[in-house]
Amino acid sequence: MATPQATGTGGSRISDWFEERLRARELFGALLHVRIPIQARTYYLGGITLFLFGIQVVTGTLLVLYYKPTPETAFDSVKYITSVVEFGWLIRSVHHWAANLMIICLVLHLVRIFIQGAYKYPRELTWIVGVGLLAATIGFGFTGYLLPWDQRAFWATVVGTEIAGGVPVIGESLLQLLRGGADVTEATLGRFFGMHVLVLPLTIGALLVVHLTIVHQLGLANPTRPEPRPGTAAAAGDAGANEQLKPFFPDYVLDEIIAWAAMLALLVVLASVLPAGLEEKANPLETPTHVKPEWYFLSAYQLLKLVPRDLGIMAPIVAIGALALLPFLDRSREVRPRRRILALLIGLVAAVVTVGLSTWGYYS
Amino acid sequence: MEPTIVDPADRPMGRRRFIRVLLGFSLFSTLAMIVTPIAGFLVPPKAVGAGPGGRVLAATTTDLPAGSGKVVAMGSSPVIVVNTDAGVKAYSAVCTHLGCIVLYDSTSRQIVCPCHDGHFSPASGAVTSGPPPQPLPPITVAVEKDQIFLVSG
Repeated sequence: MATPQATGTGGSRISDWFEERLRARELFGALLHVRIPIQARTYYLGGITLFLFGIQVVTGTLLVLYYKPTPETAFDSVKYITSVVEFGWLIRSVHHWAANLMIICLVLHLVRIFIQGAYKYPRELTWIVGVGLLAATIGFGFTGYLLPWDQRAFWATVVGTEIAGGVPVIGESLLQLLRGGADVTEATLGRFFGMHVLVLPLTIGALLVVHLTIVHQLGLANPTRPEPRPGTAAAAGDAGANEQLKPFFPDYVLDEIIAWAAMLALLVVLASVLPAGLEEKANPLETPTHVKPEWYFLSAYQLLKLVPRDLGIMAPIVAIGALALLPFLDRSREVRPRRRILALLIGLVAAVVTVGLSTWGYYS
Repeated sequence: MEPTIVDPADRPMGRRRFIRVLLGFSLFSTLAMIVTPIAGFLVPPKAVGAGPGGRVLAATTTDLPAGSGKVVAMGSSPVIVVNTDAGVKAYSAVCTHLGCIVLYDSTSRQIVCPCHDGHFSPASGAVTSGPPPQPLPPITVAVEKDQIFLVSG
């Protein structure tokens, strides 16, 4: 299909008119090319996460048109969105489910990169920025959870910010900073709302630009061999030059779009069958019997019940830090899973502990 | 007799065209599925106001003596109530010119719009001078003893 229009030597009069003024054809041509080795298997997880983030931007923008971030009005405005506004239940439930699916896909994406050793040279920075994206996404979950101002939201936030307050040395200041005072009040709601709709979207947007730019510049990793370093025999040889590639456009893009369509269908089904609920309005004077956080915080929640307070608070923070530094901790060049038994074993143990603690926390 | 071989491209609807039609239909449906809820969501739900026949206590004859007027809220709509020589009258207080809220000027004994100097007659709501294109729509008033009610309908 390589017509002259596509390669930039000609085109319709309209596209020529714009090309003379924008000089953008070369840029878009370059953007539509990402080096994808034929052996690469991404399972489209990163792209799906990006798509879900797009869904969050659209549904979040719609929700904020009706949402009112004060303790007196927040609960009623969410109820109003759910029961009065046309399709409000759908928009809110899609926002709820896309948030959950986004965390699932993000974690699966991270697991895929880990198993394929794709965080190794030269992709250490892509990995670190990716862990930053994970942290920002969890921040979205934490701040968004409070916004409906129902009992679950309120008490999960009381406990969650209390945990932040337990961090050695900076804990007390961190707690005050998060809550905007000593207790969870309208100041907290204002802060969480600001974080959720302004601070975090800008942060995640900036991180995404960096992440995607690096992916575009380096191309995808080949899971069958390490990236040749300049000056080595592998780089001097023909291993890199003769590598078989798969076209990014249209092959990979088409697969990705099919995955997005499937995800959109899943979202609508989930939102219709299991719509987002709303409990009683928050009552700061009455803690409900079973306060549990969202599922992605359950492992940290269960750990806190089992070990001394300081250890329980520091362990997840250290774990995230270690995760970010993984490319510098695992320095072997090998990428093939069957030659990285120790690394995979450590990863497996971490996964089993996390899932085990979460399950325990869920049923406790 | 030899079976004739038909080139698929010569058929009224070839495979390629068939796939294209299906694809177009899918894309259109997907787009409709996305746009419909968003458009529905953006349309503000109707506010629940006082139904027809609802009554609002606007003032008493003590605080609205003859020759005076004031603007009160009937639900979310502003209404101007004037105690004229011809009895108590009420009109929508939204100027028919560009939507400012009119007021009663007791010196000129006129209903006046402060934005573009429109004047209305307190007796009928008719335009007496200025740019307003229409008279002020009247509101039904019920006076019971000293209480002045506005009747929605």
